[in-house]
Amino acid sequence: MTEPATGPPEQRTYAGRVRVTSPLTSAPAHVRRSVRQEIDESTGIGEIYMRSLVRSQLRAALTVALTLVLSVGALPLTFLFFDTVTRFRVLGVPAPWLILGVLVYPGLFLLGWVYVRQAERAERDFAELVEPEHLDRP
Amino acid sequence: MNPTYGIVAVTLVSLATLGIGAFGLRFSRTTSDFYVASRSVSPVWNSSAIGGEYLSAASFLGVAGLVLAYGADMLWYPIGWTTGYLMLLVFVAAPLRRSGAYTIPDFAQVRLQSVRVRQVASVLVVAIGWLYLMPQFQGAGLTLRTVTGAPTWVGTVLVAVIVVINVVSGGMRSITFVQAFQYWLKLTALLVPVFFLVHAWSVDGRPAPVAPEAWFTPFGGTDGPGLYLTYSVMVATFLGTMGLPHVVVRFYTNPDGHAARRTTLIVLALLGTFYLLPTVYGVLGRVYAGDLLASGRTDTVVLELPSRMLGGGAGEVLAALLTAGAFAAFLSTSSGITMSIAGVIGQGMSRERGPARRISTITALRAAAVGGTLVPLVLALSAERISVANSVTFAFALAASTFCPLLVLGIWWRGLTAAGAVAGMIGGGLCAGVAPVMTIAWGPDGWLGVLMSQPAAWTVPIGFGLMVGVSLLTRGDVPGNVSRTMVRLHTPEHIDVDRSSR
Repeated sequence: MTEPATGPPEQRTYAGRVRVTSPLTSAPAHVRRSVRQEIDESTGIGEIYMRSLVRSQLRAALTVALTLVLSVGALPLTFLFFDTVTRFRVLGVPAPWLILGVLVYPGLFLLGWVYVRQAERAERDFAELVEPEHLDRP
Repeated sequence: MNPTYGIVAVTLVSLATLGIGAFGLRFSRTTSDFYVASRSVSPVWNSSAIGGEYLSAASFLGVAGLVLAYGADMLWYPIGWTTGYLMLLVFVAAPLRRSGAYTIPDFAQVRLQSVRVRQVASVLVVAIGWLYLMPQFQGAGLTLRTVTGAPTWVGTVLVAVIVVINVVSGGMRSITFVQAFQYWLKLTALLVPVFFLVHAWSVDGRPAPVAPEAWFTPFGGTDGPGLYLTYSVMVATFLGTMGLPHVVVRFYTNPDGHAARRTTLIVLALLGTFYLLPTVYGVLGRVYAGDLLASGRTDTVVLELPSRMLGGGAGEVLAALLTAGAFAAFLSTSSGITMSIAGVIGQGMSRERGPARRISTITALRAAAVGGTLVPLVLALSAERISVANSVTFAFALAASTFCPLLVLGIWWRGLTAAGAVAGMIGGGLCAGVAPVMTIAWGPDGWLGVLMSQPAAWTVPIGFGLMVGVSLLTRGDVPGNVSRTMVRLHTPEHIDVDRSSR
């Protein structure tokens, strides 16, 4: 590092750097607080972790609800306005009967299955954050 | 129809239910015995039990009857009853299990720290339970009349009596196994005859149903009420399932939130499988039993088809199997609801302080079971008959307008206050409660009648709106421990955080 060009004249007389030590030897060492403690003590950080978990779970739930509204919820309007769908027949069975009587059910299960995967991934991520020492857990 | 087979079937199912109930008594002495024991129940057994309890007379008989009568539009009922579990899964299942609450009033108290909210929720549990019990009792009377020719009141009273004996003896409700068995009995009872019936239909040259065009296509009349009714049924069933008292209590039997999700997912599969069948009965009924429409007894189509299409010994045996399945449906659902009602009333009664009237929990529970069954019994005997599946929808609408906002907002929104919850439950509850009374007692015509016959589409927004609005007005009263409650509801059990409610 170069000598400062400017400054009070008396500083310029020192050639080397001076080590300044704190006399407070009893100051606590820096301790890393765990996320679990933050949550247990409802600190600002703990709150942020909790809110982000709740928000990600809520997002997953709302995604399912929205998908449902746009798919199953749109079916009555589809039948009402698109006559081709209503008149379409598969092996003699009208399309609305096939959709409402059979196809909706595997769809609902699939939606539920995707949601459970999503929700459990969010919980796993949260668990890793809170308890990094238990990474081996399922 | 030869009554002998039918009587044998009904007797066997009733005896089996009472017998297993009495047998279960030796294992479960207290309510907590049951709950603790249930924690070792695997998700498959648990979900079979939920399916067994959930599939009521409306599912077993009602759907086929509605399809026979009204066709494609009625397929929305089973879809709604299944989707209700999907909504339960995504919004409620795991957090509700983690809350540790046995019932919705418990949950309300845990979340909002208010006895008043608890009381309002308790009244609603009873109201929803009664609305749900009435059609079960009616269906039982109808079934017994169809298979044995006995007067309608015989079956109604019979089911009510068996249910009360069961609950009072602490039997059926306490055993997951019975409920699980009931699901598989119902599925078998509906599935086996289908093969014979479809075969007979093929041999017969596959006749098409004879019906007006409107029967085949949704909204045959392309009218406003049709669209409103469909969407209202959707709202009621999608959102109402999570608020049914006998559904919620089952979630406590899961070991943790993770298992609660798994269980609900399996329930979705079980319900989806079951609901493929009633449609077949409804369509075949239109072909072979169209005359039921004129006599207004479409709810019996499931029971009538075997003797009409097959006749002889095979027809009689299959009809007996279906009768057994139907009775299993009445008994399991009615027992589950009666137990929930009795639990809530009993808790209230034994809590009454004062030197004169302190009674033990068990005595209170028994008295509550008897009292709680009398009202829907009288209703079932006196009310003019409306379609089983239709009247069940009133219970769904009431649950969707009150408990759905309570659960969803309570789990996901920190801002909910006790005053908001009470306002929403009372407001939504009054609106959804007036509707069935008006429909049954008065039966208005035109749009008013339409709005009253399926109230959910307008009562659910009222319930949500009041709950959010009043909570915002009383913002200062948010319970102080809401952060702690959120930790408890949403963190997975295996994470070792502080779950106490400071």
